Amino acid sequence: MTELVDPEDPAAGLAAVVALRRLADRLEDSQVERAMRSGWSWAEVAEVLGVTRQAVHKKHARRLLAAGVALRRR
Amino acid sequence: MSTDVRSILVRAARVEARRDGSRTIEAEHVLLALAGEHDSEAAQLLAEVGLTEDAIRSALNREWEQSLAVAGIEVRTGSLPEATPERGRDPQMGESTKLLLHRAMEAAPKPGGGRLGPMRILVGLLATERGRVARTLDAAGVDRTALRARATEALAAGTR
Repeated sequence: MTELVDPEDPAAGLAAVVALRRLADRLEDSQVERAMRSGWSWAEVAEVLGVTRQAVHKKHARRLLAAGVALRRR
Repeated sequence: MSTDVRSILVRAARVEARRDGSRTIEAEHVLLALAGEHDSEAAQLLAEVGLTEDAIRSALNREWEQSLAVAGIEVRTGSLPEATPERGRDPQMGESTKLLLHRAMEAAPKPGGGRLGPMRILVGLLATERGRVARTLDAAGVDRTALRARATEALAAGTR
């Protein structure tokens, strides 16, 4: 990385927040998918993410079903 | 062209958002949609300054990497694990898209009958110094001020 970004520059700092959210979202989508493909339960994924089972189900179930992931009951 | 260009653009932008795994349609998805309307003068203007769809995609990734680097994170975004996008998902308009549409409607000359063509949307898109699109154009080495002036001029001269 050659660009040195001024840590005093709020524009750069705020852009970093957006970039980190994008990164977290991408990682969450891909890693939840990977876990469910390897047979994890929603409860296990939820425990690791520190959210409720309902929250992780609501956020990812439709996408994973459409992607053809065989989801465990519960 | 009698079709509602706005709906075409929002539809294409929605495809970009879905492909990006985004839950909302943001300004950068509208930019990609604009560049993809190859017949439009807006897309031609973008191409003239080097902003083809491919160039925009790689500049978006570069912006992402540069912004992550601010937080001390070095990631090659091209090698991140992919998630399967949800085909049925219907991303809704995000704040940056609402802002750009508002700015597009404000741009002179005031549109009659709420008509929103590609050039007007481009003017709305370029009317800010802030946000991911501005940073991405900077990362692509585009002179935003000059591009904005050309788009504004084209709109004033009657290009829709």
